[in-house]
Amino acid sequence: MEKDHLWMSTWKYLASKSDFWISTLLSHVMIVVWASLIVIVLGVVLGILITRIKPIRGVVLGVAGLFYTIPILALMGLFIPLMGIGLKPALIALSMKGILPVIRNTYAGINQVSPKFKEAAIGMGANRAQLLIRTELPLAFPVIFAGIRTAVVMNFSMATYAVFIGAGAMGTIILVGMRTFNDGMLLAGTLIVAIATILLDRILGWIEKRIQKRFAL
Amino acid sequence: MENTVIDVEFQNVSKYYGKEKVVDEVNFRINRGEIFVLIGPSGCGKTTTLKMINQLVPHSSGQIFVRGKNVTELDPVELRRSIGYVIQHIGLLPHLTIRDNVNFVLQLQRVPQKKQRERANELIKMIGLPDSYLDRYPHEISGGEQQRVGVARALAADPEILLMDEPFGAVDPLTREQLQNELLRLQKTIKKTMVFVTHDMQEAFKVGNRIGIMRRGQLVTMGTAMDIVNAKDDFVRAFIGREAVFSALDTIPVFQAIIRDCPVIHEGDAIDPADPRFKDWENVFVINQNGHCLGYVSLTDFKAHEKVTTEKLREITSPCLPSDSLKKAIGEMLWGKRAWLPVVTKEGNFEGIVSFQSCVSILALDD
Ligand SMILES: Nc1ncnc2c1ncn2[C@@H]1O[C@H](COP(=O)(O)OP(=O)(O)OP(=O)(O)O)[C@@H](O)[C@H]1O
Ligand SMILES: [Mg+2]
Repeated sequence: MEKDHLWMSTWKYLASKSDFWISTLLSHVMIVVWASLIVIVLGVVLGILITRIKPIRGVVLGVAGLFYTIPILALMGLFIPLMGIGLKPALIALSMKGILPVIRNTYAGINQVSPKFKEAAIGMGANRAQLLIRTELPLAFPVIFAGIRTAVVMNFSMATYAVFIGAGAMGTIILVGMRTFNDGMLLAGTLIVAIATILLDRILGWIEKRIQKRFAL
Repeated sequence: MENTVIDVEFQNVSKYYGKEKVVDEVNFRINRGEIFVLIGPSGCGKTTTLKMINQLVPHSSGQIFVRGKNVTELDPVELRRSIGYVIQHIGLLPHLTIRDNVNFVLQLQRVPQKKQRERANELIKMIGLPDSYLDRYPHEISGGEQQRVGVARALAADPEILLMDEPFGAVDPLTREQLQNELLRLQKTIKKTMVFVTHDMQEAFKVGNRIGIMRRGQLVTMGTAMDIVNAKDDFVRAFIGREAVFSALDTIPVFQAIIRDCPVIHEGDAIDPADPRFKDWENVFVINQNGHCLGYVSLTDFKAHEKVTTEKLREITSPCLPSDSLKKAIGEMLWGKRAWLPVVTKEGNFEGIVSFQSCVSILALDD
């Protein structure tokens, strides 16, 4: 009876408040898209840089690793006195959390490119930029993509915390549900985030498989 | 050789990896249009020597000239673009189609798309694969086909010089022979200067105009197939081995072993078996005024000074051309159970004979 009631109210919430949760989900997605773009661009660039400039490798990986281990709520707590609340600090916090897998996989991906392919490219007259763009990055792509997948999926689940720094998103539904003892709303929010995260991970996983197949030797 | 141009020259070139000297004071000159083979045991420095030509590996000392220019004064990227390179283990880029692999060099040089398309079609035809292969990925074609594509890729920008590092290394002997034949056929039309690394002596004899044998970083000996089989060096002799001698015979032309002083008489002349010219000979060849050979007569058929009649004239069978290989001539002798063969030019002029004895003796010229 109790259980039925819970599922029922969840369903009711999903059906009656569809406008609200869909727009909230969209704003969630937008945050994730922006955070992921930052993470991908910065992460790949930094990953490439540390394959070329040895001295900064330790620092870059160390700092990114530190960001990765600090709980996101602690990061946000740090930002509120510095930058106030809103989208900007939320994006920065998410980017800091997600950048390690992209840097690490870019670095590892480029390093695992077989010397024979690099030599073939250089031997045919590729300059440094051409070597990177036409040989190293494409051959590292499956590994880089695996890092991107990890970062994006992590961003998607982490973005639920954005509510604590005033950036809204799906966290709003969960938090409001909690505060108003609206179990249907709470469960609906949780389900949407959980299902969307799993779906996203599966889709990206499928793409990753395709890429790996395409690059098979 | 008519006005030889030297395309690659090494002057006392050495290469150190740390303290280890992997290439040791190497000297050679490679002529334009020649296939120069570098051969030697694994680890003797063949690949290193090859890579110093396009400066994939910088040399430690000595001087290297490519088409007359000191390589240290050239932009390495430009240098490499002017030289085709077939790397050991093929190295086709797995993320690119055969078309993009073949066009890789052209793409690096920003050659217009239309030209690239035409060139890819030309090249795939040149290496004898169907057009449809252009859209496949390297892992979708066989090892032998990949090696062909590796050669096509190196030829894409039509470089004058081609470096080939064991280009036919990873295929079965039959395919390998086929690829060698294709290369030689191709070379007739493209006439590139090639530096060809292998560790197969038969391959070396087959494709090489000249061969350099390396050992522990040193170029021990260098020369034509004939020079190589005549080498005195114990290492070289052991390295060539007995089987490879047959391949060497394949590259040595019959004219090197012709016995030209065999006795000849003209049509209508009489034969005196006691003639001192015929001492040590069993047969006498009969030629007409034009130098054409009509046949030969056996001296045992003549008791005294006697005219040559048509009954006594024996027909010349299975003559060989001066340009035929010794292998072919020896094969013919074994097949026909004969100790010698007449050598006759395409025009029918009698040149002399070739015998087992003469073949053996040229392989020991300087004994
Ligand atoms: N990058 C390197 N660093 C140190 N030593 C090297 C390097 N490359 C090659 N060598 C050494 O130099 C020597 C010559 O190597 P090279 O590759 O030229 O041999 P190779 O004649 O081509 O042998 P193979 O027939 O096996 O291909 C070897 O002893 C090898 O170990
Ligand atoms: Mg080698």
